[in-house]
Amino acid sequence: MKYLIAIACVITASAYPSAAQEHPASDAGVPACITCHVSENPTEQDAALKGCPRPNAEGAPAHESSESPDFFILDKLSDIYVPVVFPHKLHASMTEMGIGCEQCHHNNPPGPILGCSACHEIKPEQANLKQPALKGAYHRQCLGCHREWNHETDCVVCHAKREPGHSVTLPADSTDIMGMLHPNIEEPEVKVYKAEDMEGTPFVSFHHREHVQLFGLKCTACHQRENCSSCHNSEQQALPREREDPHQDCIRCHTEQVNNDCTFCHAETERPGFDHERRTGFVLSTFHEGVACAQCHTQKGTFTGQKPECNACHAADWVPTKPIDHAVTGVALDETHAQLGCIDCHTNGIGTPAVCEACHEEKPDIAKWKP
Amino acid sequence: MDLNRRRFLQFLGMGAVGTVSVSAAAAESSSLEDASGGYGVLVDTTECIGCRKCEYACNREHRLTDLPLERYEDTSVFETERWLQANAYTVVNRFPNPEDEAKPVFVKSQCLHCLDPACASACLVGALQRQENGAVTYDAWKCMGCRYCMVACPFQVPAYEYDNALTPQVRKCTLCATRTAQEGGLPACVEMCPQNCLTYGKRSELLALAHEKIDGNPELYEDHVYGETEAGGTSWLYLAARPFTELKFQEIGPEPIPRLTETIQHSIFKFGALPLMLYGMLGAVMRIARSGHGGHVETTAEEEVS
Repeated sequence: MKYLIAIACVITASAYPSAAQEHPASDAGVPACITCHVSENPTEQDAALKGCPRPNAEGAPAHESSESPDFFILDKLSDIYVPVVFPHKLHASMTEMGIGCEQCHHNNPPGPILGCSACHEIKPEQANLKQPALKGAYHRQCLGCHREWNHETDCVVCHAKREPGHSVTLPADSTDIMGMLHPNIEEPEVKVYKAEDMEGTPFVSFHHREHVQLFGLKCTACHQRENCSSCHNSEQQALPREREDPHQDCIRCHTEQVNNDCTFCHAETERPGFDHERRTGFVLSTFHEGVACAQCHTQKGTFTGQKPECNACHAADWVPTKPIDHAVTGVALDETHAQLGCIDCHTNGIGTPAVCEACHEEKPDIAKWKP
Repeated sequence: MDLNRRRFLQFLGMGAVGTVSVSAAAAESSSLEDASGGYGVLVDTTECIGCRKCEYACNREHRLTDLPLERYEDTSVFETERWLQANAYTVVNRFPNPEDEAKPVFVKSQCLHCLDPACASACLVGALQRQENGAVTYDAWKCMGCRYCMVACPFQVPAYEYDNALTPQVRKCTLCATRTAQEGGLPACVEMCPQNCLTYGKRSELLALAHEKIDGNPELYEDHVYGETEAGGTSWLYLAARPFTELKFQEIGPEPIPRLTETIQHSIFKFGALPLMLYGMLGAVMRIARSGHGGHVETTAEEEVS
């Protein structure tokens, strides 16, 4: 019997460390199981992991604000006040002007969108003093904007006092809080700013639509920290946007120019928008209309150095990414020829005249092929 | 043994030397490094919205006043600066914010629970004592009502029940020592604060957190944690977006207040220097007096002989 026990002990002792090493938190022993697992008894086959946001996790899944729930009743902490009815969809629609769901659901990992209480515990944890507890998380989230917005920090703005017989009911209509949803914001074509302190070259022409449509910038590339109070005063009147330092918006992309070359933006008069032909001498409209800049200018931030010859980009083995309309070249292809590869006719390279003699004994009459 | 007056005094002097050296050694052992193992609270004033729920929670916990909740929503109290009283262990004051008028700065005041408390040093009977967990607590049974603690405190914290004729007490924040003694227990104000401006934890960890916050947002925070060094360090620590002098925080050096008084007293009595000097002087006077007297006798004797 003694031997059996001894053998059992040796087996257990040798098995234990290997099991402990596999588990990430076993050595540190800090988090309790339920920090990451839904179940108290996770198994290797069914780990029952929570969708747990880690500090480095990025990117909440894209959701339309219209898909989001109308209301939430926040009742986990209700003590001296009754639970708060939070008009979720309304707030979700507001975040479309900012960075979207992530404005509130920060650090949400790919997967379902998690509520505050998925990470913020009701009681503050001594092991993680940096993270506010649930109550702090709720209040900081709301007051982070509302304190800026109308400076109302009174408890009764959101909470009703707890009185006997009081129950919480949901409003019938998700829009009746403010009476209306935000009207569409029209995207400006061009904005011309005047920098009074720039003598001689005060005008800065910012072609807004161009940046979005031609250069493909997302709204949030520039509008990173917008909330209601960026445009409205507390009486909900729209105000002209004021920027503390307008350079900060431009410098994210135009770093070198902002730092070294004022005339890149500042000019004596208003400037026209971007014109590829005027700037480079290369006409885009013929063959390259609608092609994104980065398809030719593959090196990020460097928009120079492309040669005007066709075969500089279109190598012999070039295959169009989408069907091209050959008629723009002045020659419309019939069905038979449309199925050939470019190089079958343009044997000397794309951009050079087609060599018909490779297949045809006589050169066909191209004039007939005019579109 | 023939215990005459001189021997008795010699004996007493030796005893005094012993007592003084023992008490000096005890004082040196409670250095600030040992003390910082205690707990404290980090106040991030940038998060405070001035809701006064900490006052409500404190008053309810310690049964100081029975004002209803609505009364704490009254912001007109901010128009005059308030200070701690026998029935108010904590008060919130409002200060203007020159950078953004619409966002004033709110500061919660209460006992800072010094690592080397001047009140406890001044207390003759040991009614005020610093506990291992960082709280400076008061024992009404020991207190004799001298109010030296009120004079000693550099932050003017202890208040006195002047309107209580028979059993007046010194009143101040207790850091909710009874609540925090329980597992996971928090001071009432910390538990109530809706914004989590108040973080309860080990002082060393709070300091690390405070510096992490400053480093993470140097544009917002003043590069100073009030209480890290003030008066030798306090258990309550503050972060702010404005200079602390603007928020009427006292400018106090890093030297603990009791160091000065205790150094004077301890060095005077070190190795029984003062008693020895006194008795030595007395002895010398007696010797001179006696030798003067003896000389006179001898001379008379000589005169008699001659």
